[in-house]
Amino acid sequence: MRSLNARWIFVAVALLAVACANQKEPAEKALAQLDSVVASVRDDAARYAADELQGVEASLSGLKEKFGKGDYKAVLAEAPKLTAAVDSLKSTVAQKKSEAEAAMAAATTEWNALSADVPRMVDAIQSRVDILSKSSKLPKNVSKEAFDAAKSGLESMKATWSEASAAFAAGDATTAVAKAHSVRQQGNDVLQQLGMKTG
Amino acid sequence: MVTEPQAPAANDPYAQYYVVKKGDSLSKIAEEFYGDKMLYPKIFEANRDQLSDPNKIKPGQKLRIP
Repeated sequence: MRSLNARWIFVAVALLAVACANQKEPAEKALAQLDSVVASVRDDAARYAADELQGVEASLSGLKEKFGKGDYKAVLAEAPKLTAAVDSLKSTVAQKKSEAEAAMAAATTEWNALSADVPRMVDAIQSRVDILSKSSKLPKNVSKEAFDAAKSGLESMKATWSEASAAFAAGDATTAVAKAHSVRQQGNDVLQQLGMKTG
Repeated sequence: MVTEPQAPAANDPYAQYYVVKKGDSLSKIAEEFYGDKMLYPKIFEANRDQLSDPNKIKPGQKLRIP
């Protein structure tokens, strides 16, 4: 009787070992595939969908831990859910990347227009400030306070324009455009302070 | 007679212009725009393409005011 029980136990253990061995390979493949897909999207995901990537990475790490403990069944059971999460991550990244590229293209187009316009504005103001600085007295429509404000405004415009140009050179067209708009707004104020017509 | 500056030209939205009226002189225009009639050469130099003599300007001429 005891011999019979021992034999059944041996058979059961053998079957379990075979079952585990049968699940190890598909579990390994599933993990490798998930790992590969996550690796392919990781850089863009870190930029465009960091929170979603973090969730996927945590789940993937959990599955790897289960695989390491030999829980292949759990790996196979949970892999489809993680695959869906990875697909969702890929979709989010593609959409946000597309939106960012469209925004960058629009900002670049706008920058091209601003980079032709703003320097002419700065030149016009600089010219007038230089001439008025040589004048024995200011024209009737420009007070000393307004002239002083215009001079400091011009310096601020030039500094901000340098920052805008640097931002664009660094590939940040959005910041460059925002700063260029700021320069133009300030320039309109300065033109008024100098009694000049705005563009 | 000096009046308000004209609207900027389309090719340079920030260039300032003035159309000469009867009785104007460059020094009078300089005094209006710069507060100092002695700065008239600035206007003359900016309009050398149409002025050969600072004392000879004609009504209707569109002068650039730098």
